[in-house]
Amino acid sequence: MNLRWTHLAMWLAFVCLMMAIPEFVSKGTLRTLIFANFLAIFAISWDVLSGRTGYISFGHPFLIGIGAYTSAILTKRFDVPIEYAIPAAVLMTMVGGIIVFLPALRIKGSYFALVTLAFMELMYQLVQVIRPDLTGGTRGMSGVQTLTRGAVNGYYMSVSLMLAIAFSMWLLMRTQLGTALSAVGMNEESVRGSGLSTTKLKLFAFLTSAFVAGLGGAFYVHYLGSIAPRALFDINFLFTIIVAALIGGASTIIGPMLGAFFLTFLLEFLRPYLPGAERYFIYGTIALLLYMYEPKGLIAIIDKYWQRTRGTFARKQEPGESL
Amino acid sequence: MQIIIQGLLLSGLYALIAMGFTLIFSVGRVLNLAYGAYLLIGGYVYFTISQTFGVPKLIGLLLAAVVGCLVGLLKYRLLVKPLKGDHVAVEISTLILAVVLQAGVVFLYGDSSKILLPIVPGVTHVAGASVTYNLLAATFASWAILIGLYLFVRKTHVGRAMQAVSMDNRGAAISGVDPDKINLFTWGLSGALGATAGVFFASYTQLSPSMWVAPLIISVAVVIVGGIGSIIGTLVVAHIVGFMEVLAVAVIAPELRGVFTMLLIIVVLVIRPQGLFGREEL
Repeated sequence: MNLRWTHLAMWLAFVCLMMAIPEFVSKGTLRTLIFANFLAIFAISWDVLSGRTGYISFGHPFLIGIGAYTSAILTKRFDVPIEYAIPAAVLMTMVGGIIVFLPALRIKGSYFALVTLAFMELMYQLVQVIRPDLTGGTRGMSGVQTLTRGAVNGYYMSVSLMLAIAFSMWLLMRTQLGTALSAVGMNEESVRGSGLSTTKLKLFAFLTSAFVAGLGGAFYVHYLGSIAPRALFDINFLFTIIVAALIGGASTIIGPMLGAFFLTFLLEFLRPYLPGAERYFIYGTIALLLYMYEPKGLIAIIDKYWQRTRGTFARKQEPGESL
Repeated sequence: MQIIIQGLLLSGLYALIAMGFTLIFSVGRVLNLAYGAYLLIGGYVYFTISQTFGVPKLIGLLLAAVVGCLVGLLKYRLLVKPLKGDHVAVEISTLILAVVLQAGVVFLYGDSSKILLPIVPGVTHVAGASVTYNLLAATFASWAILIGLYLFVRKTHVGRAMQAVSMDNRGAAISGVDPDKINLFTWGLSGALGATAGVFFASYTQLSPSMWVAPLIISVAVVIVGGIGSIIGTLVVAHIVGFMEVLAVAVIAPELRGVFTMLLIIVVLVIRPQGLFGREEL
């Protein structure tokens, strides 16, 4: 495990900082922060699967959508209490994770990415056609029961969820299992060569990722109170998730969170100048340039500067992956 | 009968759309997720030149192809080459690029969709099915381009060099073919093809900033199912996909249009990852 008290202290400081934020900022900023929290959850979920094992998923909204739709349908159409609906949604998403996992047994790389993209588009079209009385068809659903009222409560809910997920993922990645997952991403054959079952490891990664995605998706729909297929199974949404994880720094825990906050605030910052979808032009260009300049993400850039200010002669720093 | 005619026409269009994507995938071995953006660019360039400035349509079409070609060349030089064949990085950066280009179009032309006047106006009736000359023209153009491409790849020196690079990069380099040049050429060609297809596609449906997604999915389906490096495969599968869509619309429900295409991608990828006509690859 090799836990160190400095890490725990940093986590504690981070939690305190995040919890203290509502005292200082306006309601509007809080709403932005809530969105950033959810985006961070999705990005972490993407990263557990794609950042670690190298199986790039272009269909993450597929998993998130299963979580969100299951919970929304259960509470709205069948009057299931939220306490039961969310676990059920998470279970459903994990089943979805297994479905996505099946092609990964045979194919990898670009082909796998394409299958997941196809899954997302398939889901998008099916949701509109099959049982529109349940899913609300093209228009989606509104008036889904919400968990919280007001920006402050919403913020506390989303930030606690994000921190809980981030912390448990961090712990998980520090175990041997986490190391093995990253090893799958580096060289699957040699992992198999060392006598580990890559199938089991991959299954584990898919299930964990689906678990987080389902949890995030379900809470997200109960925060928003509405759901629409076009907003969910959308390339722009997928793009935001992937870019958040990559810009922040893939296969770290702090990276996707950093990326999510960076992107959300960039988007908010651009809003006064460009109100509509044009924002994505600047936003995407910045993302593209950052990605081309440093594929390891912001975390690597920060780390580099940190090293430089500390002086290269100083004792060896904790690498960026430590958090 | 109507289904057959509509299926043939739609499939011709799809074959044209998928061709450029297949080329890149075969020769450069990368998935260009910004491929749909060529169609977007082609459609909007044609719209600006022919519909706004009233330049003759053929010139508009040619200019659209030229712009598409330039975009393809730039993309290769600025994006793909610096990433040095890292497939995942290329896919992700082209995906980002596609979103950027879409936003650029929104920025310039606004969010709402535009109607592109038919390239060739008029309607005819074939065996009880009404067929617009426009789609007919697209199909003929598509067949002409496909045959031309087939001959080009088979008969000319450059075409054979493309085949060589698609089979084995290093082997081609040893035989005196510069893979970099061939790649650059292919990217340009693919861009031109994509932009041309975009004009026809836009006149078939309509111009909108998000019009690049559907053709991308179709191209992906065609390439995946057809397999790498097979022009004939592309043609055949474009017809499978086209007919499946027309049948789904006519027999089951219009909403299910794309569902079978997705299912086809998933099933083929899982059962036969090298595609129906492709070489053993994975």
